[in-house]
Amino acid sequence: MSGPLEGLRVVEICGELGQYAGKLLADLGADVVKIEPPEGSEARRVGPFVNDEPGPNRSLNFWYHNTNKRSAILDLDGSESDRDLARALLARADIFLESLPPGRPAALALDYATLAATNPGLIHCALTPFGQDGPWAGYRVTDMVALAAGGPMNMNGYDPTDAPGAPPIHGKGDQAFNTGAHYAAMGILTALVARDATGEGQYLDCSMHEALSSTTEVGLPHWLYTQTNIIRQTGRHAATIRTEPWIHRARDGKDVLVFNIGRSNESWGKLKLWMQSHGFGANFDESRFDDPMNRMAARGTPEAKEIFEEVSRFITALDAEDVYRGAQACGLPWGTVRSPDEALGDAHLHDRGHFVATTGEGFEGEALMPGAPYVLNATPWELRRPAPRLGEHTDEVLAELRGPTPE
Amino acid sequence: MPGLPLDGVRVIDLTWIIAGPTATRFLADFGADVIKVEHEQAVDPIRLGRPIVGDAPTLNNSGFFNYINRNKRSILLNVRHPFGMDLLRRLIAVSDVVIENFSAGTLASWELDYPEMRAINERIIYCSISGFGHTGRDRDHTTWGPTAQALGGLTLTSGLPGKPPAGWGYSYMDHTAGYSATIAILAALHHRARTGEGQHLDLSQVEAATVLNGPAVLDGTVNGRSWRREELPPGNRSWEPAVAPHNTYPCLGEDRWIAIAATGDPEWEALVRAMDDPAWARDERFGSNAARLANQDALDERIAAWTSDRDDYELMALLQAAGVPASVCQKPGDRVERDPQLAARDWWQTLPHPEMGETRHDGVAPRLSATPGSLRRAAPLIGEHTREILAETLNLTEAEIDEYAEAGVFM
Repeated sequence: MSGPLEGLRVVEICGELGQYAGKLLADLGADVVKIEPPEGSEARRVGPFVNDEPGPNRSLNFWYHNTNKRSAILDLDGSESDRDLARALLARADIFLESLPPGRPAALALDYATLAATNPGLIHCALTPFGQDGPWAGYRVTDMVALAAGGPMNMNGYDPTDAPGAPPIHGKGDQAFNTGAHYAAMGILTALVARDATGEGQYLDCSMHEALSSTTEVGLPHWLYTQTNIIRQTGRHAATIRTEPWIHRARDGKDVLVFNIGRSNESWGKLKLWMQSHGFGANFDESRFDDPMNRMAARGTPEAKEIFEEVSRFITALDAEDVYRGAQACGLPWGTVRSPDEALGDAHLHDRGHFVATTGEGFEGEALMPGAPYVLNATPWELRRPAPRLGEHTDEVLAELRGPTPE
Repeated sequence: MPGLPLDGVRVIDLTWIIAGPTATRFLADFGADVIKVEHEQAVDPIRLGRPIVGDAPTLNNSGFFNYINRNKRSILLNVRHPFGMDLLRRLIAVSDVVIENFSAGTLASWELDYPEMRAINERIIYCSISGFGHTGRDRDHTTWGPTAQALGGLTLTSGLPGKPPAGWGYSYMDHTAGYSATIAILAALHHRARTGEGQHLDLSQVEAATVLNGPAVLDGTVNGRSWRREELPPGNRSWEPAVAPHNTYPCLGEDRWIAIAATGDPEWEALVRAMDDPAWARDERFGSNAARLANQDALDERIAAWTSDRDDYELMALLQAAGVPASVCQKPGDRVERDPQLAARDWWQTLPHPEMGETRHDGVAPRLSATPGSLRRAAPLIGEHTREILAETLNLTEAEIDEYAEAGVFM
C-alpha cells in the first residue's frame, strides 16, 4: 500500500510559510522536490537545533516540516541556467507550491502564464501572507503578526482577574503558517480533483490572511449579526459575556480543562459517585441538585456555585491525568493541559502508531515525533524518509531531468 | 460562469456542531452537493447557537449556523424509523462521501460501519471524525475542540509566563480537525479517480492537534527538553526563531494592540528609523539580536512607550512602509469594517436567508483561477430540501414521498 498522492510530482519553493503544505502532500505519497538556495531554506536557520548547535541540517523545525521531501539546490536569484532547470522541473510537475513574494515568480519567469504555456495541467499554488493584490499584498509578517492581522490572536488571552491589562496572546507552534498550509493543501487537492475530471490545471491565490480570518469560530458571527466584539477569557472561549473558568490546577501542579459539569443527568450521576468515592460532594445527593437547570453554571444558581467550588477542591486532591481519565469515564470531555512532549506518554496514541521515528545530523539513534494527522485505511500516511540534508538530492533530481520524460 | 471544481461530488453529511461542518463547508463552497441529514429529536446544537436573529431560537435563525452551513442542503430523516434508515442507505448508495463526527462506535451501533457501507456502495469514502479515532484503548473518550487543544499541547504553549494557560480562546481544533478531514477526503477522491477504490478515513481530533507541535516534541526527544519549564510559554515573545523585539505593544484607545517583530538587524534598523532614530536605540544593549534578546524587558518598555499614544492602524502603515513586520491585533469588527486588505479583495459578501433577510458572509479561500468556489445559498432551513433531494437523487414520486411523510420518516 502507498499514499493516495503517489506518482504526483510537486516542486516546492517555500520557507517557513508553506513548508508544512509540502509536508502534507509528501506524507501522502507525493514526490516533493524542494528547491533551495545555496545557503538553504530560511527554515534551516530556525531552532531548536540538535544540541543547540545551529547548522543547515540540525534544525528540528526543518526536520519536522520537510519529511519525505527531496532537496535540490538551485540558485534562482543568481543563475539563469538554474532558472532554466527549475522551469524544466516545472514542465513535468503536477503541482507547483511556492510562497515567494507577489511579483517575484514573474521576475524569475516562474509565473503561471509562463509555466502553463508548456504545462497546461500544472496546478500552481502561490501561498502568501495577504494574497497577490490589495494594499497589504507587500506587507511583511511573522507567525505572530499574521495571527494578529487574521484575528485568531484577538480571541486568545486572559480574564482581568488572572492578568490585568493582558494583551491578546500569540499561541506558539507556527499556527498561522499551519493554517495557511492547510488552506493551500485543501486548495491544491480541490484543483487536483477537478483536474482528474478535466485534465486542466489552474492557478491558486492562497492568502494566509483570508485562511486565518475564516478560522475564528464565533468571533465573526457575533460581529456580523450583532456588531458585538467578543471579550477574551483565560483558557476558554472568548464570548460576549464572561463565563465560568475552565482551567483548574490539580495536585501535581498541572492544569486540567474542566467544563460541561452537570450538563446531562447521566454524567452528573457518575461524576457524583466518583467524587463521593474520594470523600467530596457529600451533599450532592440532596434533591435540589437533581434538576439540570439548577446545575447550569450560566444560570448563576447557588447549586451551580456550590458544585463548582466543590469540583475545584476535588481536583486539587488528584493528579491531572487521574482527573482526565476519571472524568472521561463519567462521559465528560475534560482533558489535561499537556506540554507537547507529554503526549508521548499517552499509551492510546502508541496503540494507533501515532508517533514515528526520525533522525538526522548530530543525533545518534531515532527520535519520536508526531506522525499521521489522519488514518487512511487503503492508502496510508507514511514516513518514507527523514527531512533531506541541504542539496542531498541535487544530482539525483538533475539526472532525472536528463532522463526520459515520464508519462 | 465557470464550473465548480467539486461539481458532481455528493456528500452525505451526518456531522454536527463545528468540526465536521467545517469540513463540509469547504467542500460545499467548492461545489460538492452536501446533504445535511438532520433529525428533529436531535438537532445540530448550533441551530440554537448564538447569535440568534430575533427574540428566540427557531432552529432557522442562528447566525452561527448560517456562518458554518452555507451552500448545503438539508434533509430531515428519522434514522430510528426503519424507512428512514432505508432511505439513508439508499442515499449512501448514490453518494461519494459519507462524513460523521459522532463518538466512535455510534455509526456501528446504527449497523453502518465501514464494511456495511462498503457493502452498500463499494466506492464510498467514509470519513469519521472523533476525539481519539476508532481504534486504540481510549477510543471511547470524548473531546470538544478545547480538549484536543489541551491534550495535544496547544493550550499550554499559549500563555504568559507564570500565568495559567490562555490558549486558544476558541475551538481552533474544531476548525483544524475539519481542515484535516477535508485534506484526507480530497486525497481519497483523487485516489478513487485513479483506482476506483474507496476507503475509511479515521480522523482523531487529538492527533490532528499533536501534529501541530512537531518541533516542540522533537526538542523533547532529541534534546531532552520539555516545554514545562520556567521561562515557557514566553507570552508574545518569540520561541523559535529567537528574535527580539517580538511582542505586542499597547496603542491609543482601550484594548488596542499592535504586534511588532524584527527578525534580524535589517528589520531592527528599519524599526529604529521608523521611530525617528531615538538615542536609546543606539545603546549597545540593543546592538545585536543576541543583545536585544538578553535585554527584552528594557527593549519592550521603550517600544511600548513609543506606541502607547499612537493610533494602531497608523503605526501599522508606518512600520510596514519601513519594512517592519507589524499588525494591529484585529478584532472581528476591525476585520469586517476597517481591514483594507479584505475589503479590497471583496472578501465580504451577502446571501439572502428566508428568516434572517440579507446575511453577511466571509468569502471563499483559496482563490482558484479556473474553477473558483462561490457562495450560492445561505444555510438551509431544517428539512428545507427533503422532497427535492429524494425526488432528484432517488427518483421518488410525490406520492411515495407523501407516504414516507405520513409514516413519520421526515421528523
